[in-house]
Amino acid sequence: MMRWLHWLGTTRLTLLGMALLAIGAALSYDNPVTTPVWVLVLPLLLLALNLLIAIIINPAINRRAGLLLFHIGLLAVVVLVAIGRLTSMEAHIELVDNAAFDSEALFNVRQGPWHDGDLEQIRFVQKGFSVDYRPGMKRGLTHNHILLADDDGRMQPLVIGDDRPLLVNGYRIYTTSNKGFAPRLTWVADDGATVSGSINMPSYPLLYFRQANEWTPPGGEAIKFWLQVDAGLQEDAAWVLEPNRAAGTLVINESGRRVELQPGQSLVLAGGTLHYDRLSSWMGFKLFYDPTLPWLFISAILAVLGLLLHYWKKFSAEPLLINPSADDQSLTLTGGKTA
Amino acid sequence: MMTELPWLYAAMTAYALATFCAFYDVVPVRAGRVARHAMNERMVLGLLLVGVTLLVVTLGERWLRLGHGPFVNLFELLISQLFSLGVIYALVYWRVPLMRRSALVALPLLWVLGLWVLLIEPADSVLPPTYHNNWLWAHVGFGKVFLSFCLIGSGLAGVLLLRRWPLFRSWFHTMPSDKIIDGLAWRFMLIAFAFHTLMLIAGAVWAQDAWGRYWAWDALETSSFLNWLLLGAALHARVSYKVPLRLGAVLIIAVFVFAFFTYFGTPFYSEAAHKGVI
Repeated sequence: MMRWLHWLGTTRLTLLGMALLAIGAALSYDNPVTTPVWVLVLPLLLLALNLLIAIIINPAINRRAGLLLFHIGLLAVVVLVAIGRLTSMEAHIELVDNAAFDSEALFNVRQGPWHDGDLEQIRFVQKGFSVDYRPGMKRGLTHNHILLADDDGRMQPLVIGDDRPLLVNGYRIYTTSNKGFAPRLTWVADDGATVSGSINMPSYPLLYFRQANEWTPPGGEAIKFWLQVDAGLQEDAAWVLEPNRAAGTLVINESGRRVELQPGQSLVLAGGTLHYDRLSSWMGFKLFYDPTLPWLFISAILAVLGLLLHYWKKFSAEPLLINPSADDQSLTLTGGKTA
Repeated sequence: MMTELPWLYAAMTAYALATFCAFYDVVPVRAGRVARHAMNERMVLGLLLVGVTLLVVTLGERWLRLGHGPFVNLFELLISQLFSLGVIYALVYWRVPLMRRSALVALPLLWVLGLWVLLIEPADSVLPPTYHNNWLWAHVGFGKVFLSFCLIGSGLAGVLLLRRWPLFRSWFHTMPSDKIIDGLAWRFMLIAFAFHTLMLIAGAVWAQDAWGRYWAWDALETSSFLNWLLLGAALHARVSYKVPLRLGAVLIIAVFVFAFFTYFGTPFYSEAAHKGVI
């Protein structure tokens, strides 16, 4: 039994685990869908077991405070990453101006089986955005305006961006490069029933040449829309995308006839009347949740501090600085040794 | 107009002269050897510092012109790396006289970058939105210190390997025994390991803020993690087994070569080094 325990804590097994982890890491490059997660999980489990036993039985580790802290920190990182995968959540959502966050509208949701976050705590309203572009259509900073509900339920203005996430109850919500225009429409059916909503056009300016979408109103026929946008786009100069200052003409193909609508104009179609209320915008957000993040950071920093403590003790015992003697032929260690 | 280029050429000239001085030191002479040796070492150090100063001006000029630091394209990454390698190498060269003769190995390695930066297109760059983050500084800074100590360790490892041959033995005869050089080289690799770990931590924090994930196995993340594993495995192997000195030296150089390809080879097999960089 003890023999097995010793074998499980040997450096030989550490090196084997590292080699397997290296293979798993190489196979995981770029997250190919064909690579199973076990190529990483199995070596990590092996290394965690090896590390745990080595910490317990190996005096070279457990009698040196620095090395002990480093290895405990590493073990904690491995365990926390595993817990993080089981409790995390990633998702996307698209919100038009003045729309409130709605957890039912999340898509591309990926969450661990132990995820227990409270999405209902996320209460904010999208209020438009601007994006800086440099020459060559290089995207700069995104300034996305929201109204965030505080503890008293009052809405407070806040600006978030790609690298300035909204932090709510452990959830981190980032803007993305995926955003665009959304013509706001009202459909009044012949029987008087009214429906209002927005049509999200493809991402802008990435797909500026293909601003088209389709919608079927209740009781009506499918309508194909094209949007001609004047947003000040410049390929060779700096510009700012500000959807609330952009002008958009809605083009509709009605029985083979091209009809252009400006905001405020209407078009009578089979089954009802379509009103083009105004040009609005939508922003694509990425949502991320992992309750282990702060603990991961602390564990990793503790590991490094342990490593530095070990170095400090080791280097103090065996000084690095070596003074060459006058003729350069023999060298004296500051610790008194002679080479 | 790229006003920084004349400063870059001047800096590379200073590095070239430092390399020349290091090699001039090993040319055999009959008399006055000790006096020339001391003077040459001062010349090497002085020229390295002149090169570093000129690179500071190069980076400053470019920074003022473009409005951002040297973080984006290969040209500016090479310049900043030449600066950080130069400044840390000069510092260690000054403080650890024992390793000075290893400049015969390390400075030519530095020159690989020097020649490269002179041959590539000095294109301007645009700072991506995700680079407006203080953790980027920590991540890049730790990475540069890691590579610098790898370079110093590799210089010493190169001495261990080269002095097996009679041709090179006389070059390094003033250096101490293989065992002492081996211990010194691995000590620098230990420091490199700590900074590599810090680089991975700072990079993960930056990635979480920048792209909403702390790890995504992109080209740089995968390559740098493999590099960390290789160095970690090498350190474990050396502590636990009697790794022959020359095999140890080969391991050190392998870590440096891997790090070199991680830093400068990634652009060749990945359109964007970090996923979601734009």
